[in-house]
Amino acid sequence: MADEDETKEYRWESGYEKTWEAIKEDDDGLLESNVADLVARAKRKRAALKATGAIQLGMMRHLFVVVDASACMFLQDLKPTRFLCVLKLLEVFVHEFFDLNPISQLGILTTKMKRSEQITVLAGNQKKHIEALQQLKDLSCEGEPSLQNSLERAMNGLKNMPAHSSREILVLFGSLTTCDPGDIQKTIKALKDNNIRVSIIGLAAEVRICREIAKKTGGTYNVLIDDHHLKELILSQVQPPAVAGSLEASLVKMGFPGGTPSVNDGTSDSSADHAPAYCLCHIDSETSSLMGPNGYNCPQCGSRYCELPVECKQCGLTLVSAPHLARSYHHLFPIKPFMERAQVPDTTHCFACAKLFLEAETNVYECENCHQIVCLDCDLFIRETLHTCPGCASDPVTAQMKTN
Amino acid sequence: MLELKRALDAKGHCLLEMPSGTGKTTTLLSLIVAYMKAHPLDLTKLVYCSRTVPEIEKVMEELRKLMNYYEKEMGMEQNILGLALSSRKNLCIHPSVSKEREGKVVDGRCYSLTASFVRARHAADDAVPICEFYEGFDAHGKEFPLPPGVYNLDDLKEYGQTKRWCPYFLARHTIIHANIVVYSYHYLLDPKIAEVVSKEISKSSVVVFDEAHNIDNVCIDSMSVKITKRLLDKCSNSITILETTISNMKENDSKRLEKEYKRLVEGLRDATIARETDMALVNPVLPSEILEEAVPGTIRTAEHFVAFLKRVVEYIKTRLRVQHVVQESPAGFLRDIHTKVCIDRKPLRFTAERLASLIRTLEISDLTDFSPLVTVSHFATLVSAYTKGFTIIIEPFEDRAPTVSNPILYFSCLDSSIAIKPVFNRFQTVVITSGTLSPLDMYPKILDFHPVIMTSFTMTLARPCILPMIVSKGNDQVAMSSRYETREDTAVIRNYGNLLVEVAAAVPDGIVCFFTSYLYLETIVSSWYDQGIIDQLQRHKLLFIETQDAAETSLALINYIKACDNGRGAVLLSVARGKVSEGIDFDHHLGRAVLMFGIPYVYTQSRILRARLEYLRDQFQIRENDFLTFDAMRHAAQCLGRCMRGKTDYGIMVLADKRFSRADKRSKLPKWIQEHLKDTNCNLSTEECVQICKRWLRQMAQPFSREDQLGISLLTLEQLQSEEMQKKILQRAQGV
Repeated sequence: MADEDETKEYRWESGYEKTWEAIKEDDDGLLESNVADLVARAKRKRAALKATGAIQLGMMRHLFVVVDASACMFLQDLKPTRFLCVLKLLEVFVHEFFDLNPISQLGILTTKMKRSEQITVLAGNQKKHIEALQQLKDLSCEGEPSLQNSLERAMNGLKNMPAHSSREILVLFGSLTTCDPGDIQKTIKALKDNNIRVSIIGLAAEVRICREIAKKTGGTYNVLIDDHHLKELILSQVQPPAVAGSLEASLVKMGFPGGTPSVNDGTSDSSADHAPAYCLCHIDSETSSLMGPNGYNCPQCGSRYCELPVECKQCGLTLVSAPHLARSYHHLFPIKPFMERAQVPDTTHCFACAKLFLEAETNVYECENCHQIVCLDCDLFIRETLHTCPGCASDPVTAQMKTN
Repeated sequence: MLELKRALDAKGHCLLEMPSGTGKTTTLLSLIVAYMKAHPLDLTKLVYCSRTVPEIEKVMEELRKLMNYYEKEMGMEQNILGLALSSRKNLCIHPSVSKEREGKVVDGRCYSLTASFVRARHAADDAVPICEFYEGFDAHGKEFPLPPGVYNLDDLKEYGQTKRWCPYFLARHTIIHANIVVYSYHYLLDPKIAEVVSKEISKSSVVVFDEAHNIDNVCIDSMSVKITKRLLDKCSNSITILETTISNMKENDSKRLEKEYKRLVEGLRDATIARETDMALVNPVLPSEILEEAVPGTIRTAEHFVAFLKRVVEYIKTRLRVQHVVQESPAGFLRDIHTKVCIDRKPLRFTAERLASLIRTLEISDLTDFSPLVTVSHFATLVSAYTKGFTIIIEPFEDRAPTVSNPILYFSCLDSSIAIKPVFNRFQTVVITSGTLSPLDMYPKILDFHPVIMTSFTMTLARPCILPMIVSKGNDQVAMSSRYETREDTAVIRNYGNLLVEVAAAVPDGIVCFFTSYLYLETIVSSWYDQGIIDQLQRHKLLFIETQDAAETSLALINYIKACDNGRGAVLLSVARGKVSEGIDFDHHLGRAVLMFGIPYVYTQSRILRARLEYLRDQFQIRENDFLTFDAMRHAAQCLGRCMRGKTDYGIMVLADKRFSRADKRSKLPKWIQEHLKDTNCNLSTEECVQICKRWLRQMAQPFSREDQLGISLLTLEQLQSEEMQKKILQRAQGV
């Protein structure tokens, strides 16, 4: 019980920690190599978990995040409160989510007072979500949550999404009880029938119904140990999940709106052939205003949108931009984990960064395909950011194989 | 297993405490079966006694798995026959009889269809109904033994259906040559039934009593009789019926009565031979020499016997007409009955036997009406047969309601060893086992036997899956205790309430609470209601309460399970000696936490208990306090054990009483609980307790897979054979 590590707690709040037991001196009485080793191991562990090999991943994701806003979210076992901590982490999550899944959509729900409320609808605009999350901070947490209501609501939102996309719900559940109007088993069955996977992160303890929901719908269920662990758990949801069952491969019709030279930063040069029009995303809300010439026109029906990716409200076409697709591409070919091996004397430097291997670094990593050796930092960088092996990419033969 | 082997080798008795869910049943079965295979001459039969029908079924399931494994490994059919036996109610396949709900009614109706005279009458007159299944069994079943295999109750029924044989009698007949018999305690302990069912089990058998922590109470119950005024009134009615039947018979068929008279002169023994179906009226244990004797002349004729019975009943009625509590020994009772109504000890002894014979002669087929009379006859026989170890207590009213006259005569057995003695004497090895037998040294004393092996095992676990805690004070530092002086104190009650509310807020799904008595439960709940604690509680979980009404309780249980299943969470308030604490498992989410409010001492003012305590002190040199603590702690342990049903399970155990932390109480907990009860968790306040719970629950919720257990609490074959492990095993073997 005493071995957990809550750095934010005051010393007198946490249990006894036998920190000295974790530290071992090496033969020279030095600690350094050991510490480096510990760090490396922790890093590798996380990276290795994600390397899954060639399975089909659901790249187009439709995800509802359900945030518990019941009375128990005011508890202070996560600092400052569970609710604020979760919101803060969600902001990070939303950011990372869209970074890794550019052609996906996200929506946010809360549940309190036995009801479920929609905060944002399914949309691909991360700014809007983050804004909404920031506004949520002032929300008072009260009453009991209702799993069933929020799942039903999310299901209604997801039901009509196209079949080739992956439909997911992520529940951040702080309460240990749920107040439901009907039989939750029916809801679980409906979720299953609709191919929706529900992942749940519990903030307090293992609740059986959550485990059951996650198990039956093919999601994951985890309970946090502390806030670091929570962050890890939330961020682990960023990676697109493997497609459940064998979805038939289908051709998806997509539109690539033209006329905006620079998509990446969202600003656009003025273009003469874009007449001012209302943005269809905001046409229902009061804040809608006449857009300038900026925006994206659906190539099929010509409706105007202020952001991509989006599903055209008029003709149902998925509108994306080419870089979005390109950024999702690497999910299809995750690189295999590099083999860890003891340092070979004839390679003196890292292939990627050309850093010289030092004596202290005991392990280096070798790509299975191109047999190039990289250092630990590069290994992690390749895995988390680059998503492609520089050795393979620079070798014309393997590069050819990969694209095939 | 090692210990068990030793006991088998030594042909002695043994006492094993093993935590629930660690494969107790499998271990016992596999070793004993292996032993039976290796030494077929030394060990011929395994008799496995369990408590309830579901438990019997579980044992059969394990046995089946074992047999399948044998078959797979050895590659041939195994020559072992295992079967389960239960009452007629659970085994009957007669289309109309099996629909009856009550066991007694089924027994009665079965008797009315299968008794020997009914069948004789049927032979003469086809209109008399009989049971075709029994006829089928009687005609063919006896010659063809059951093929080897494992039969649980349903299998037996199915087999009976296909062959058109009565499964009940088939099972009873098969016991004689079956290798493994699984049935309820009562078939062995209750002398009234044991005589009939278990008589022919050979000496070279192993008897296993599973879940045997209450075995002494079972023994006592099986030898005790309780007579109320209503029962006596019913007796009078039955006697009148007897009288009219006798006079009728005299007119029609006086020959038969004469025949009976003659037979009685010759002795009773012969009369019982070949009447296996007439088991409803068997006599209580009698020293067998009595059976050899002839029935005394005074009760030999039917009219005389009925008059005699009448006198006995009337006498007991007058005894019940008392204003104050009377306690006397059987000897005193006998003297009194002799002086007042001139009844000797000797005829009294034969009452049960004589009544059975009479009912047979009179060909009364519906026995259900006579059960009160049978009870009285048992009482008469027991009171005259045993002068030691019993007491008679007559209470004119219940302690709780002193104004309502409700006289009851208790004929109470004080010595649990009387009923079990024949078992120990007869079988070469008796294994007594349960999850909670601590303190072990008490059982040999109260059951009066000498075990060769007495061990308490602990669990090897990959993670600390139980969290026992002793909470001794509330947040306001007021000590929590259910001591008599403080139990009405509002501060204590409030602290108990706060503890429950806070634990309910921190623990998911199901929580089970145990109180010391129904009375205490009621007072606490009503004052919690006034203090608003119930409202707070219901914000977190639904609340269910066990009551003395069995139907109500089972309804509450069903809904409790429902509430746990669908995530609402529930709290079940129950009583330490009630139905919930004994038979029902709260595994996994059904019991994430068990709270024990107070120490479940027995109601010490009860006269029966006091008499027993006195007896224990005089006969076995057990101090009253020792026995009370022992009894309380075994019940507490039993309650706590409800939440742990396997290695993947986990549960919190909160002992909310200051007195639990005292050495005499703590050391009496089972070893597997004590092992996890750290000194730091022995004197907690409510808040500390909740903090620890929260942290522990988070740890337990982390993914826990089979691989984590491998090498620690699960061993692969290679690991088992590895040198290191062998060394460890050897070490352990030598250490003991």
